[in-house]
Amino acid sequence: MEPGKEKGTATPREQNQSPRPNLKPVTMNKNLRKKKKKDLEELKKEVDMDDHKLTLDELSAKYSVDLTRGHSLKDAQEILFINGPNSLTPPPSIPNWVKFCKQMFGGFSLLLWTGAFLCFLAYSINLRYNEKADKDNLYLGIVLSAVVLITGCFSYYQESKSSKIMESFKNMVPQQALVIRDGERMQINVKDVVLGDLVEVKGGDQVPADIRVISAQGCKVDNSSLTGESEPQSRCPDCTHENPLETRNIIFFSTNCVEGTARGIVISTGDNTVMGRIASLTSGLTMGQTPIAVEIEHFIHLITAVAVFLGVTFFFLSLILGYGWLDAVIFLIGIIVANVPEGLLATVTVCLTLTAKRMARKNCLVKNLEAVETLGSTSTICSDKTGTLTQNRMTVAHLWFDKTVYEADTSEEQTTGKTFPKSSDTWFYLARIAGLCNRADFKPHQESVPVAKRATTGDASESALLKFIEQSYNSVNEMREKNPKVAEIPFNSTNKYQMSIHLLEDNPQAHMLMMKGAPEKILDFCTSFMLNGQEFPMDEEMKVDFQNAYLELGGMGERVLGFCYLNLPSNFSKGFQFNTDELNFPMESLCFVGLISMIDPPRTAVPDAVGKCRNAGIKVIMVTGDHPITAKAIAKSVGIISEANETAEEMAARLNIPVSQLNTKSIKAIVVHGSELKDMDSNQLDHILKTYKEIVFARTSPQQKLIIVEGCQRLGAIVAVTGDGVNDSPALKKADIGIAMGITGSDVSKQAADMILLDDNFASIVTGVEEGRLIFDNLKKSIAYTLTSNIPEITPFLMFIILSIPLPLGTITILCIDLGTDMVPAISLAYESPESDIMKRLPRNPKTDNLVNHRLIGMAYGQIGMIQALAGFFTYFVILAENGFKPLDLLGIRLYWDDARLNDLEDSYGQQWTYEQRKVMEFTCQTSFFISIVIVQWADLIICKTRRNSLFKQGMKINWWFCAIPYSALIFIYDEGRKLIIRRRPGGWLEKETYY
Amino acid sequence: MTKTEKKSFHQSLAEWKLFIYNPTRGEFLGRTAKSWGLILLFYLVFYGFLAALFTFTMWAMLQTLNDEVPKYRDQIPSPGLMVFPKPLTALEYTYSMSKPPTYEKFTEDLKRFLEPYSVEEQKNLTNCPDGTPFKQSGPVYQACQFPVSLLQNCSGVNDTDFGYSKGQPCILVKMNRIIELMPDGSPQIICDAKDADIANILTYPDHGLIDLKYFPYYGKKRHVGYRQPLVAVQVIFESSATKKEVTVECKIGGSSNLKNEDDRDKFLGRVVFKVTVST
Repeated sequence: MEPGKEKGTATPREQNQSPRPNLKPVTMNKNLRKKKKKDLEELKKEVDMDDHKLTLDELSAKYSVDLTRGHSLKDAQEILFINGPNSLTPPPSIPNWVKFCKQMFGGFSLLLWTGAFLCFLAYSINLRYNEKADKDNLYLGIVLSAVVLITGCFSYYQESKSSKIMESFKNMVPQQALVIRDGERMQINVKDVVLGDLVEVKGGDQVPADIRVISAQGCKVDNSSLTGESEPQSRCPDCTHENPLETRNIIFFSTNCVEGTARGIVISTGDNTVMGRIASLTSGLTMGQTPIAVEIEHFIHLITAVAVFLGVTFFFLSLILGYGWLDAVIFLIGIIVANVPEGLLATVTVCLTLTAKRMARKNCLVKNLEAVETLGSTSTICSDKTGTLTQNRMTVAHLWFDKTVYEADTSEEQTTGKTFPKSSDTWFYLARIAGLCNRADFKPHQESVPVAKRATTGDASESALLKFIEQSYNSVNEMREKNPKVAEIPFNSTNKYQMSIHLLEDNPQAHMLMMKGAPEKILDFCTSFMLNGQEFPMDEEMKVDFQNAYLELGGMGERVLGFCYLNLPSNFSKGFQFNTDELNFPMESLCFVGLISMIDPPRTAVPDAVGKCRNAGIKVIMVTGDHPITAKAIAKSVGIISEANETAEEMAARLNIPVSQLNTKSIKAIVVHGSELKDMDSNQLDHILKTYKEIVFARTSPQQKLIIVEGCQRLGAIVAVTGDGVNDSPALKKADIGIAMGITGSDVSKQAADMILLDDNFASIVTGVEEGRLIFDNLKKSIAYTLTSNIPEITPFLMFIILSIPLPLGTITILCIDLGTDMVPAISLAYESPESDIMKRLPRNPKTDNLVNHRLIGMAYGQIGMIQALAGFFTYFVILAENGFKPLDLLGIRLYWDDARLNDLEDSYGQQWTYEQRKVMEFTCQTSFFISIVIVQWADLIICKTRRNSLFKQGMKINWWFCAIPYSALIFIYDEGRKLIIRRRPGGWLEKETYY
Repeated sequence: MTKTEKKSFHQSLAEWKLFIYNPTRGEFLGRTAKSWGLILLFYLVFYGFLAALFTFTMWAMLQTLNDEVPKYRDQIPSPGLMVFPKPLTALEYTYSMSKPPTYEKFTEDLKRFLEPYSVEEQKNLTNCPDGTPFKQSGPVYQACQFPVSLLQNCSGVNDTDFGYSKGQPCILVKMNRIIELMPDGSPQIICDAKDADIANILTYPDHGLIDLKYFPYYGKKRHVGYRQPLVAVQVIFESSATKKEVTVECKIGGSSNLKNEDDRDKFLGRVVFKVTVST
């Protein structure tokens, strides 16, 4: 038996027998466990419940709930306690100890553990054969272990911190639900809704759980996020279909109620809801490694290989040169420690966290740290249209009256100042019809909000008209008060028009019939038309003009409405009872006034952002469920299809030849219809993706989105995908970076995505791309900086072994550099601002443009590192020479130098040194070598700030560095003066007050 | 499964081969001959320049040095003490009286070491006045004679075996040379056996005195022929001692500016050695 059935049917029956559904949690767990093994098909079949077939009494009995008063508070508490909150379980996360162990033993840690182990081994061997064992090895071992532990804990802490940020984001917007308990309506948190709760849902709400409807008034729900159907569906208490997904008396968790109200009983909550099951399915999809994770792994392998290779080579070399086993092991440790940039991984984590925070400030919330960088290497963006590229708000775009097309202002802030002749009488009529024959209304208490941003009730086109009239004509409410409505026929899909009859303010006894609707339908009603306020009988010329205008506006992808009116004859004056069911008034020979067309206009920032993507070599593909013409129009207006390019159909139309005769090579843009896509195999899709630079997919289903993403990935692109519905989540998961919408996105899509755009704006993606590239650049800089010091760290060992000179740099000192002086500057490079070419170069090729490539290694190791090493060695030789050991005498001195029993070693001047004196000398040299590295690293830090730009261009105002110099001089002068006086006057006032 | 793995192995092998030599593009290790030439030329020029620069800076640095006196001498403010001959392992003189090969190395070393101290070798050196420092201001610096006879029984003149064959070995103790070091007072090397019952310690010159005329030392370059003052230590085992093994500690005394009690440096102004003689 399938667990789903078990849950859907068996369990409730058991509940029926026992008053409380005690068994529920058990089956839930079982269910969860089994769920993982299922694939999509099985889960689809699993949607199997019988609640929709029950009568209300049965339902009431099954959930032991009163259908008018709801649960008692106590019962609700109890059920909540038993079943747990009504929320989707987040996908199973890796347990904390595994994460911790990953930090402890992943990456370089293993290499360092080996080093530490060798240290302890060397110490214990030493201890066994030599009573006065050198403790240095023990200390080094302890230090190495501490280093691994501390950096591991630090990385773990950083990671848990960033995942906490994500947790808090999930709880950012708690949703409310209206439930009835003890006969009282109360607003509670959605996650407190329990099984059997009596819930009320009204238009605009998100459904809080799976609900069996018991009563409804004109309730329509939008199931698109669940089933992909974009048309709102009506809901009623009657069971209309066997299949629970099809029946009309069940509404589903996380879908939206578009209009009307409904009351019902909760039949499943949380993960048991239909949505919950799909959500857990998508979370089961495995994700590939993020590119930066691949890069860092590649880098770790490279460095480890170099470290092990060098270590082992010199291990054997030193054996051949006659050093003891123990010495060779110590060399091995030294070389490993010198090669591994211990602090780097912590630096990388910090860099990523920083960027994630910065992105959040720019309205991109990043879920996976590494996703930031992925966005930077994105080469293709598959973007939604609605809400992402557009404002998601129908707006009047064009008007056609007096035989002229006028353009309206569609920008978000109403700033273009486009206008049209408002003095025309035709406009007066048009505005009046648009305002009065309109059921949309502003929601109350929004006086302070700009008209364009006010919330409205009603259909999108009507709202657009309402706002347009409010803005460019007059207050609609006032108009409606003065011209009261006496009768109306609402719009429906069969008649395709809307009619209303109003008393007129300028002639209070007369009625005017106003009508709006599909233009061709409207034209059929009309026998005359209005031109500059005068009525003219309809003629062929007018009809042709009308057709042209209709085609023109429709061709721009706009939704066109026609408007007409009729002054009713005097026998229908005030007091006449209109009957809209059996028409008792004339509704013909109307006068045509004009057309108004609407579109969801692109966001203001989008064309610019698309242009930036172009410059940055990123291909923007529009994937939309919308009509091809609308899609193309928007694509053109935002630049996804650039002005210079035209599609095959357009070119054919222009050249007046059939599409098949065109030279397809010159065509760079294409609009692909979803139904064509359905018939394509992957080769054909690849061909389209490869040959066309500007692609729009229209009328696509969310499933096809997945196919498109996979196609792009087959061609080696790194794909970013935007999506908001639940059905988008497989595509979001599949994409290299899934981007969910913060406002319109469903919870499931947010869960599947790597990044969430809090403002739903495409331009934010571009900001994200820039940030992503920036982090990659800055990481490169940071790594180049850190790696450079490896050469001056390792050459001392090599020279020590090859030239037999006293050791110029100790192992502990190397750790001081890697974990101390190099770490903070490396992190500081994460704050570096972008260079001028950041959005002008092509996206990196993930196969060849590695984070750490041979050019970076060549630069860091081969060039700058060598100079640094020379600096260190120069200091070293200077110090030894100035103290008596000249460079040439040092060569080959090592065996004598390190001989603890040789206490009269002669220097170049004939002086003799004890072992301890030599060692103090050697430590002085090591300190100076260390300081030399620190100083040359200053220069390295400054040069690493940029890769292409000149430093002077990149905000390095060198002259500002010198501002403090006079003050430094003052410090010297002041303090030397003070000390002079103290020396001259011992015990004086100045000494008492300032001698410390 | 294995089939695909095998294939991928072959593939990677082929990729490697292609990487090592790609005949179509004429690439060797991922670079064409021209590319290799250019990169090698670049590094040749680059490293050539670096080497030249490094050599130049080193040369310039060496020019600033004084050949006679090192720039800094603060690293060795006080001399260390060392013994001669130096045993192969730790400072332990272990030998058998009856087996000359076990001590021959010591006596050979001593002979060679004392050769420059012979009268013949020192005839060009100055006979300096005793008891006062022999300060000089150059430009020619003279070295004082250190007659080997001062070492009496350990001079090797009368006893070419330096007492080793008799079980009374001589060991030379010397103070490290430090340029322009001027000891206060009258420095001497004081040697004691850890266990006075086992052995008696004799020092030559008497009381292990080091004459001030051997100070200051002016360095290898200026002070040619300088003879480092020596103190010989002879270990005389008590006849009653059953086991001829003793630890001897020598210290610099009689001078306030020569340290002999450093916690870390066990050879600063002192030296400890062990003598074991078997029959």
